[in-house]
Amino acid sequence: MTSGAVAVRASEMGEAERRELRAARGRGLVIALLGAGALWAASGAFKVAAIFSFWLLEQGGAAWTITTTVGMLWLVAGSAAIIIGGMQAGFGARFPWRQSLFVIAPLYVAAILGALLDGQVANMTGVFSGSLELAVPITLGALAGILSERSGMLNIAIEGKFLVGACAGAVAASATGSVLAGVLFAVLCGMAVGYMLAWLGIRHQVDQIIAGVVINIGAIGITNFIFLRVLAKNTWLNTPPTIEKIKIPFLSGIPVLGPLLFSGTPYLYVMLALLIFFSYMLFRTRWGLRLRASGEKPSAAATVGIDVIKIRYHSMLLAGALAGTAGSYLSLSSAGSFQMGMSAGRGFIALAAVIFGAWNPVGAFGAALMFGFSDAIQSLMSILGVDVPPQLLNSVPYIVTIVVVAGLVGRVRGPAAAGQPYTQG
Amino acid sequence: MRLELKEITKRFPGVLANDRISISVDRGEVLGLLGENGAGKTTLMNILSGIYRPDAGEILIGGTVRNFHDPHQAIDAGIGMVHQHFQLVPVFDVVESVALGAETVTGWLGTFGRAAARRRVVELSEQHGLDVDPDAKIEDLPVGVRQRVEILKALYRKSDILVLDEPSAVLTPAETHDLFKIIRGLTAGGTSVIFITHKLGEVLEVADRITVLRRGAVAGTVKPADTSREELANLMVGRDVDLLVSKGPAKPAGVVLSVKDVQVMNDRLQMAVKGVSLEVRAGEIVAVAGVHGNGQTELVEAIVGLRTIDSGEIVIGGENVVHASPRRVADLGVAHIPEDRMRDGLIAGMTVEENYILDSYHRAPYSSRGWLHAQEVAAAAAQGVRDYHIQTPSIDTIASSLSGGNQQKVVVAREFSRRVKLVVAAQPTRGLDVGSIEYIHTRLVEQRDAGAAILIVSTELDEVLAVADRIAVMFDGRIAGILEGASATREAVGILMGGGE
Ligand SMILES: Nc1ncnc2c1ncn2[C@@H]1O[C@H](COP(=O)(O)OP(=O)(O)OP(=O)(O)O)[C@@H](O)[C@H]1O
Ligand SMILES: [Mg+2]
Repeated sequence: MTSGAVAVRASEMGEAERRELRAARGRGLVIALLGAGALWAASGAFKVAAIFSFWLLEQGGAAWTITTTVGMLWLVAGSAAIIIGGMQAGFGARFPWRQSLFVIAPLYVAAILGALLDGQVANMTGVFSGSLELAVPITLGALAGILSERSGMLNIAIEGKFLVGACAGAVAASATGSVLAGVLFAVLCGMAVGYMLAWLGIRHQVDQIIAGVVINIGAIGITNFIFLRVLAKNTWLNTPPTIEKIKIPFLSGIPVLGPLLFSGTPYLYVMLALLIFFSYMLFRTRWGLRLRASGEKPSAAATVGIDVIKIRYHSMLLAGALAGTAGSYLSLSSAGSFQMGMSAGRGFIALAAVIFGAWNPVGAFGAALMFGFSDAIQSLMSILGVDVPPQLLNSVPYIVTIVVVAGLVGRVRGPAAAGQPYTQG
Repeated sequence: MRLELKEITKRFPGVLANDRISISVDRGEVLGLLGENGAGKTTLMNILSGIYRPDAGEILIGGTVRNFHDPHQAIDAGIGMVHQHFQLVPVFDVVESVALGAETVTGWLGTFGRAAARRRVVELSEQHGLDVDPDAKIEDLPVGVRQRVEILKALYRKSDILVLDEPSAVLTPAETHDLFKIIRGLTAGGTSVIFITHKLGEVLEVADRITVLRRGAVAGTVKPADTSREELANLMVGRDVDLLVSKGPAKPAGVVLSVKDVQVMNDRLQMAVKGVSLEVRAGEIVAVAGVHGNGQTELVEAIVGLRTIDSGEIVIGGENVVHASPRRVADLGVAHIPEDRMRDGLIAGMTVEENYILDSYHRAPYSSRGWLHAQEVAAAAAQGVRDYHIQTPSIDTIASSLSGGNQQKVVVAREFSRRVKLVVAAQPTRGLDVGSIEYIHTRLVEQRDAGAAILIVSTELDEVLAVADRIAVMFDGRIAGILEGASATREAVGILMGGGE
């Protein structure tokens, strides 16, 4: 007897569709107006050159250069926006407008970049590989966040685990002279912190946000103490060997892509491998199915004999290991030593990437790349002496996150039971 | 397989939920399990399915003692349970929900064999006549279909003992009919079924044997052929129950609620109420009958201020409430018993006492200048618990640990604790035992005779025919017809409910 309900739905489709169409027209108009703005910007900028270069075979070697004008960039971006806006208004709800933004946005970024550079050459290999480098810890942190939240544990202590991992990694690597030992120790310490968070949240049912805050503050305190009281006097404990970049044979010989993707630190490769691995594990395996069930509806998982508590402990340990690895990257890769507060909020950026990526590893990686990109652009600007307030550039990714999370992605929903303690009867 | 529970005892803080209960089911038999709210039915079944550990007693399957330490062991022993509150993951699809916990995997990563699982689901649903789209997401499915998914879950695990905990509380009569067909098919194949319900007619229809629980103990076991509704009701409650509400003729006075040409959208932005006009007078009970999902939910939410209307007019006691807040509506003397008590009626994690004052905590005598007066609150809540026979260890008990029926009584007690001009009650007796239904119906009639206007929304024909002075039948967002309660017949209402002329 559900026919009644079906009848309601069928006969009222009309109204819902009309609303959709109106919304689509509105969106189309906004996009087209953006396009018109770009065309207006183009009109005055055909004299300004825009030069982007890419390293062909190795960093610092021969370069491949694209030369165009800023006006041209604006023209292409503007036309694309007008066409897509028109299609949006015309086709209505059937038009995949969210995806179309992935076409428009890079074109606008290129145009704005060109305008800011005002004729100077921009080396994009540097920008892109810089983005990737910065995306490494953020993606690892986001993976940690995704695993814990998908299993039902809020994890805002990623920042703290970064710090602990960075400190532990630097000390162990310095003491043993082995980078690998540093990473392993960072992983262990990350897991210890993860276990503590799980123990507070599961065993003692401490509010998971509060437990996370406590751990973050505790991590700052402990690592600061170690730095000031131990490492400052014993500098031999804070001069770790740094991790070398590795060129992957054959692949690193691919023009343009080689120097960009296949000449990085092992961290980059490990991160990419983990990304693929956990995407598969989460969505294609029994392990992932059970983990997601524990985070969405733990009682449903428990009634079919799944040990929710165990799953949550395991996921927190894994998350700790991932965040610890990311932490060791901070001190062992670029910096070459541990510094106070060196995570600098990246653990929280990782959390933003979790949300931006809708609790999906690949999505989070995309968000991490965006955060990394804006950071890399900022360093490029300061090297080239372009006068843009860095604070402004810095805040762009967050503004984008807010816009995306609030509007574009639509109803992104996190795991329904994240943060709720689970008690078995 | 023959199942026996022997002398099962389970104690919760302050309650003896199961007191040396012994029941048994034979192979291919349907055991009806009856009992008032809080009698311990769900607790007993949770023990059977390994969720709770009994304090004493044992479980025998096919003559051998089995003690379950976790749900897994119970599932392995062939026990399948369809819980009173469905245990499905809303964002999973049907295949994932059914296979969860019993997945077949391949490879060293443990890849979930979705294709194989899907084949099994399709096969089982065809074999047992359980019509389900295997790729649909659970949250998009109506409750009737979700229930089929739950049954599929049990079949997927090759259960030969199936427990259904109040499976029909949320089903339409037609869905219940389908369910009975499924149950008969299963028992013909040798499955034993334990069927828990509050609906006496259903248990008489489907059960081979009926065991009645009262206050945690077995009150008796009977055969349907040798018993009657009256006897069952008496066994459950321990006294005679009036299965028919006794009420005098209505004396309608002035109009209290007037709904004019109201249109309301549902959450999916579809028009759910398409121009409804209705008047309820002081001193009469108007029932809105109809199959669930024909706009009743949205209409009620619009009246009590929980949903904005698209067009039309709603007037309560002379005041236009189209833009009024829920509190303003409540202040006008409107009592609201919501359809989904766990979502809109109670705050599950708060105590009985706190829930009891949810609607008037901001007023004397419960508070003044922002301070709560603990003594007044406790005294009022204790009085409510006594008046409504709410079974709870204390007023400090968390609402979610009460049995379903007692949660409902907390809501009713709270809403009737104020001076009421209009009662809007959606499914007021869903999940309640016969004794409580009698009690709530009596209270509704009492409120009517005290001069309140009463609007009841119900999908239960029995309830509508028992209490209503006038019956408005809703179909497809409109009022299909209005009948006089005294002269209405099941058939006449049933036809209108199906949209017929
Ligand atoms: N987890 C729990 N903690 C404390 N008390 C509980 C718990 N579960 C049930 N109870 C209590 O045990 C008693 C039996 O509850 P149970 O849910 O088994 O009743 P029921 O027969 O299923 O009732 P209903 O028909 O209303 O669903 C009730 O008094 C209830 O308050
Ligand atoms: Mg129950």
